[in-house]
Amino acid sequence: MLGGLIEANVQANPKKRQDFDQLVARVGIWVTDIDEGVTLVFDSGHLTMHNGLEPRRTITIRAEAETVMSLSNLKIGLFGMPIYYDEVGRGVASKLLLGRLKIDGLLSNIATLNRVTRIFSVQ
Amino acid sequence: MAVKAFSDEWAAQFKDEVNKSSAYKAAGKGWKWTVGLVVEAEPDKHFPESRGLVMDLFDGDARDIRVGSAGDAQKCDFVITAPYTRWKQVATKELDATKGMLQGKLKLKGDLPTIVRYTKASHELTECTTRVPTQWPDEQ
Repeated sequence: MLGGLIEANVQANPKKRQDFDQLVARVGIWVTDIDEGVTLVFDSGHLTMHNGLEPRRTITIRAEAETVMSLSNLKIGLFGMPIYYDEVGRGVASKLLLGRLKIDGLLSNIATLNRVTRIFSVQ
Repeated sequence: MAVKAFSDEWAAQFKDEVNKSSAYKAAGKGWKWTVGLVVEAEPDKHFPESRGLVMDLFDGDARDIRVGSAGDAQKCDFVITAPYTRWKQVATKELDATKGMLQGKLKLKGDLPTIVRYTKASHELTECTTRVPTQWPDEQ
């Protein structure tokens, strides 16, 4: 489903296509309440998906299914930054603070995370 | 009184539950597409033929929800397909619909970004199914 979502977003939106074409990163997503995950390998306009978490990930997002869907609903604001002050954004931020959303590699890869968020966002 | 799963009576009660739900009314604002649920046959569970549930949902209201053939449901803008047992799991809260879609247990056809935008609405729709007292054919 995540692969289909990225494909649809990139096809429908030239800005997301631009982000997708520029992104080189290995992104792990682990859905904690179903104990399943994927690794998305972005390579300048190509995406390969692997079941499970593969080594050498740039960032790894660990959260419940509902939170993963909330990440897709983050709005994007000025300068392509995700908005964390509306209802969805506050929900995501509070889960991050409470440890219910964990992002390994966050601090050293904020630009990558923002780009991934923009590609995922359906808003 | 409990009604047979995925029967006309079940569809009518489901529609009532959707229209009673203030949560759905708020979360479904702006939705304007038809949704088809395909319930695939499982003869060993006493559900011998596939059925479709055709839902005409508009702007937070259920204008019509009716039982038809699987083919009727497949003509909708969004189609969610799963075997009878999976739908039973959803309607009895054993399986969360969002998790089911992420795991591929519920197969979704349609514009993914649109349905992801309405995650809350689809969650509330499945909540409405849990409020319909249901007779399950495999339990009779």
